[in-house]
Amino acid sequence: MSYRDVAVLTVICVLSGLVLFAVHSLTEKRIGEVENLEMARLLSQIFPSADFREENGIYLAVSRENGELLGYIAEAEGKGYGGTIVLLVGVTRDGRVRRVRVLSHSETPGLGSRIAEDDFLSQFENRTVDEILLRRDGGEIDAISGATISSRGVVNAVREKMLELSHLWGSSG
Amino acid sequence: MREFTKGILRRNPVFYLILGLCPTLAVTTTVENALVMSLAFLFVMVPSAAIISALRNSIPRNVRIPSFIVIISTFTTVIDLLIHGFLPRFHEILGIFIPLIVVNCVVMGRVEAFASKNPVRDSVLDAAGMGVGFSLAIIVVSAIRELLGTGSIVVFGREVIPALTGSPVGLMILPPGAFLTIGILIAIFRRRGLLKEV
Repeated sequence: MSYRDVAVLTVICVLSGLVLFAVHSLTEKRIGEVENLEMARLLSQIFPSADFREENGIYLAVSRENGELLGYIAEAEGKGYGGTIVLLVGVTRDGRVRRVRVLSHSETPGLGSRIAEDDFLSQFENRTVDEILLRRDGGEIDAISGATISSRGVVNAVREKMLELSHLWGSSG
Repeated sequence: MREFTKGILRRNPVFYLILGLCPTLAVTTTVENALVMSLAFLFVMVPSAAIISALRNSIPRNVRIPSFIVIISTFTTVIDLLIHGFLPRFHEILGIFIPLIVVNCVVMGRVEAFASKNPVRDSVLDAAGMGVGFSLAIIVVSAIRELLGTGSIVVFGREVIPALTGSPVGLMILPPGAFLTIGILIAIFRRRGLLKEV
């Protein structure tokens, strides 16, 4: 190593930092807007024709027609194969899953990434917390073949969030 | 022109150089994934090669590898941020593939073996050729795997090849299916003498 090696590498790293800073500040606002839009889209996929009110990190879904409370949507995090899986879990007032949507994940494309597909997520609909386990663990959810860790990550995240929120719909749920 | 065409078949990164097998295994479960990955890959590969080739005389030999890694990963992140901000629909599909490109050894391999030693024009041609070669390779492998593994080929919701068989071989979309497919293709190409020195 000579001084020149160190100097060049330092300059490259500093330049890289500057470029990243510039691009990040250029895109930060737009990315925020894009994510808000995406959030709104997912919320209305879970409870269509509802308005949403955020309270302590939980979205309350209120009917647009008569103002009746329809259910709750909360963010849940689980550990997948490639990193954290972030989900939106929608639950009706009687403690059944309304719908689950994936906000972000970094699972293997083609294998674990199939957790975001309807074939897998629709299995959660109308389930109570007791049924939300992989079939091999005694529940009702089929894991994606070749992606058990990713599947289990989603199942555990939904289950834990349901348990955490169960006071909202009474212990019977 | 030879710098461009050599990567397409004779020195195909997947079949001849045996580089980039990780993404080749991971994303070739469906043709759709392979197409998207190809696009993301070309986005990163060509500009990275151009930048590194332009800087090749100012980067000392001792620190070339860390320099290349910093440049490639910076570039990948810039692309990721730009697509996320300005082409959100695109990012939804492409998002999970972009981090995979940083660890794609085709990029690193070509940068080290070619762009760091050759002028910008040749390096861009080499990178584009390798990119096209990589794309073709993963598209061919994914077409075979998706057809045998799921029975049909569906791209962006449109059925390109309708169901041929009622009993698909599930193994083909799992990792062993990728190894088998790549191995058999390499064997066929070698047998026919298609993978030769330039």
